[in-house]
Amino acid sequence: MALHEINLTIPCAQGAAAIPADWAHSGVVGSGDMEVLMQRGDFGGAVRVKIVTPVTGYDEVWEKVLRKFVEESKISDTSIEINDNNSTPYIVAMRLKQGLLEMKEAAI
Amino acid sequence: MRAWKELQQASFYESSARERALGLVDEGTFRELIGPQDKLCSPHLPVLGEAVSFDDGVVTGVGKIGARPVFVISQEGRFIGGAVGEVGGAKIVGIFRLALGLYEKIKAAHPEDFESRAPAIVYSFETGGVRLHEANAGLLAHAEIMEQMQACRGKVPVISLVGSKVGCFGGMGFVCVSADAVIMSELGRIGLTGPEVIEQEIGKKEFDSADRALVYRTTGGKHKTIMRDCAALVEDSIAAFYDKISELLALSYESLQRYRVIGTPALVREQMELVALAAELKPRDSRDVWAHFGNEHPERIPDMEVDEFLRTAKLRTRKGG
Repeated sequence: MALHEINLTIPCAQGAAAIPADWAHSGVVGSGDMEVLMQRGDFGGAVRVKIVTPVTGYDEVWEKVLRKFVEESKISDTSIEINDNNSTPYIVAMRLKQGLLEMKEAAI
Repeated sequence: MRAWKELQQASFYESSARERALGLVDEGTFRELIGPQDKLCSPHLPVLGEAVSFDDGVVTGVGKIGARPVFVISQEGRFIGGAVGEVGGAKIVGIFRLALGLYEKIKAAHPEDFESRAPAIVYSFETGGVRLHEANAGLLAHAEIMEQMQACRGKVPVISLVGSKVGCFGGMGFVCVSADAVIMSELGRIGLTGPEVIEQEIGKKEFDSADRALVYRTTGGKHKTIMRDCAALVEDSIAAFYDKISELLALSYESLQRYRVIGTPALVREQMELVALAAELKPRDSRDVWAHFGNEHPERIPDMEVDEFLRTAKLRTRKGG
């Protein structure tokens, strides 16, 4: 019954760069929603992910969504921490993009 | 998150706790304390397999309005209905303690122009009360927050804001009205036992929680304004709440006290007279109460725009005006 934790280390894509701020937080852990905290770190180019969720049995789906995000957004040396409350994969992908976009807007 | 200027025009009702916190103080002054990057999550929820949040559903921080430091507490209704647990409760209590500590420091450093520099607390309530998953810690947090509110008496003004989706219910209903003043929008709701719980316990005939109009007539901002539990009814925008906070904080501490509803023997007597009036009047609906206080067409009140309501509605006369 305890919360499920997923830890991933994802190598960054070619031409990837650090995120535009030291850290950024976005989203609310509502029902079917999640929050994400992204922080700069020295991970030898990789992206470290920690997901805390009540959902079990979907580790492969989580990994696919996160790998796709890291690949498309071209970020490196970042820790991504997610507190999830039963989000669908589509919501997860959208919230990650939103978090990064908000960080870019704030950095301008 | 939206920028300060954009937030001013945003609906208070639809804004997140963090957006409200940022928008309720002067532009660029809000600084969050124990924010998401501190990762202080509830230790109780994971054991139960319930989702956690980095801020435990409460945004706490400090900003400024003019020259005054304004401490902000803002609850997030989308996280477990804004219910108060151990960590969130401790963050709230911490803000009260910081405000009181700063009060003493500023008083010692600026005895001449202290009034214009005195710290204040604004508390945006969006909560159903105790978080049942950590009930003892949640209840204890209620008691500690109440104690801090009392410690602020005569020192730090506390202003409650209610205008969010969940409203303010359960034990937090008590906490909210123990402040010096309450600001609401007409979408704000304050009560002790929430509508669903009344229906569950006593039955649909007694209180139909699906009847939104009835719920708003009984617990909403307009009713609370007529009853004088609410000091000021404002439009549903962050700017409207911000403006009203600035207006109330411009008053001396002494004159702000006229908006208090509990906290002195005289105020308790005033409340007891209302209980006696309820027994005598036996109202079947809030409309009967509105009519008693001089509103000739109480049925029109729910549909009124805020400015028309403030212009025409008759409010209960308070002791001492």
